[in-house]
Amino acid sequence: MRGVDLYDHPPYARNLADGGSNQTVCRYMASLKKFFFIKARDFVHAGEASIHIQNLLKSMHLDPALIRRIAICSYEGEMNAVIHGGDGILNVNIESNRLTLEIIDEGPGIQDIQLAMQPGYSTAPEEAREMGFGAGMGLPNMKKNADDILIESEPGKRTRACMTFFLGLTKEVQ
Amino acid sequence: MKSEHNTPYVRFHEERCTGCAECLKVCPTRTIRIRNRTSIRFVDLCIGCGACIRACAAGAISATTRPPHRIGEGHVAIALVSPVLYAQFPKAMPKDVLLGLRHMGFRHTIDMSIFLEMFQFAAAEFIGRNRQTHEAPWPFISPVCPAVVRLIAFQFPSLLAHVLPVLRPVALMAREVKERLIPAYATQGQQVVLYYVNPCPTMEQERFDPAGAPLRHPEVSIGINDLYPDLKQHIDTILTEVPPFSETHFEYETCATANAALVAMSGGEIASMRVEKSMAVHGLRDTIAYLQKIEMGLFQDVEYFEFRTCREGCLGGVLSAVDKYMARSNVQRMLHLHGLGQRIPSNTILRLYDKGRFKPDKSPLTLTRLFGDRKPALSLEQMERIERILETVAGWGCGACGAPDCRTFAEDVVRGQADLEDCQWVHPPQASHECHTGLTRRPITGKGRT
Repeated sequence: MRGVDLYDHPPYARNLADGGSNQTVCRYMASLKKFFFIKARDFVHAGEASIHIQNLLKSMHLDPALIRRIAICSYEGEMNAVIHGGDGILNVNIESNRLTLEIIDEGPGIQDIQLAMQPGYSTAPEEAREMGFGAGMGLPNMKKNADDILIESEPGKRTRACMTFFLGLTKEVQ
Repeated sequence: MKSEHNTPYVRFHEERCTGCAECLKVCPTRTIRIRNRTSIRFVDLCIGCGACIRACAAGAISATTRPPHRIGEGHVAIALVSPVLYAQFPKAMPKDVLLGLRHMGFRHTIDMSIFLEMFQFAAAEFIGRNRQTHEAPWPFISPVCPAVVRLIAFQFPSLLAHVLPVLRPVALMAREVKERLIPAYATQGQQVVLYYVNPCPTMEQERFDPAGAPLRHPEVSIGINDLYPDLKQHIDTILTEVPPFSETHFEYETCATANAALVAMSGGEIASMRVEKSMAVHGLRDTIAYLQKIEMGLFQDVEYFEFRTCREGCLGGVLSAVDKYMARSNVQRMLHLHGLGQRIPSNTILRLYDKGRFKPDKSPLTLTRLFGDRKPALSLEQMERIERILETVAGWGCGACGAPDCRTFAEDVVRGQADLEDCQWVHPPQASHECHTGLTRRPITGKGRT
């Protein structure tokens, strides 16, 4: 899986330039790529990218359980960027046999990824907790529901979470 | 895919349509398309929420309920009464309303709220037992509103497991009547007709036996608004004369407490349920928003969700006669005057529960078959084409093409059910030319304006 350089990526650059207007689409052979701009601390519109992805997958008649797993992951990732990160992008790539979700944010980064993967560990600010977010289940939930997960972080700079789902294969959700 | 003017729940009257396109946007399943200016088609699944009936100012869309004609003539009429009916009469107690129905010609009047009470107890019992085992998917979703269950089967199939597997109050009521009342008349050779008195257009579908066998007892649904004027007169006479209430052998035929009307209100179902954390959501838009959130894994700490597609719960049903806020005020007054009270002893319900009397009759699989997505799946290439079309069309969702929004229009184009030229932003019609919804395009530059 090739990483995306945040600052050289044309769609992202264009999104930033026009003030983050919703989405841009690139086309490749038999794949569907979509980009969503995530605004930090915008709790009102948080989750809209996930709902959009969910609706796309539903019209493709993927297995409902698989759609649910993808929805949970994209929502948790999106919320992570909203709560912790600065602004970021959600990047979804649907291919014939797999789907990748990539969430990149300009947030403070994760100091200790091992620790952050533990259920219940949270560094969310008080304001997010009061709204019912930031229970420390984001990364564990993502790990539980994704077929493959990769989290890279440069403390102080940015975080990139990349999740892969194999379409057509099922994984039991606990 | 068939294009039709009618669905099992609603009928379209072309002669009344003004082409205002109000119905286009409100449909939660995006099934309405406008063709030839003033003609609508239902191209996909109708879940019977009644939103289009409410939106249509011209009255061109109506429910498929039957007006009450010749009740009790040549047959035994049994009324199955939704608690919403009680809230329509501020001065009458539920028992007077039921008595009024008997004056109209119904031989029996079955109070649904008592089955709701049983359902509430059984649901709380089910949730309580699953709380200990930790096996159940949280949160559970109320199966009471049939439009919600159909919406889930159609748009949120992964949430079907969350629909509480307890028999719905209407089904409990129908079963009880069929097992205990009808056989008595059947032995006498009398024809029995069941009348559902309803605030919503949701009953029509259930009149058809899924197996295709003819029903022995015709079931008819009547809208409360159709029944209201006659019933009002009968109740008014009752309240002045007060005839003695005749003896009955069926204990569900009367109603004496205000619980009955409470359950019609939003939040009324969970109000008297022994559940630790529950939420009531009403209105179509909020119901969809919360179902989306549940699908994304939120609200796992909530035990029970009461969803109603109508604003203010069943009181806001599209076929109710009195406005929802007035009805709500009536319910609150009734509560104030008569208070709450449990009518069936808990032990009785618990015994029935342990006997398995609350097991649902339909499995989620049946629901998927009946109300699942019927359109063929879109391939990745088709999805790409949709995105390309969306870049071409304006994306303003004007509805001039006859589809509710641009994405649906693009999907129709890809599926071959619409032409890209229908979009008036892709192919602007001449000034005199009219598009499908009859809107004449004005010059955008402002030159032609006076």
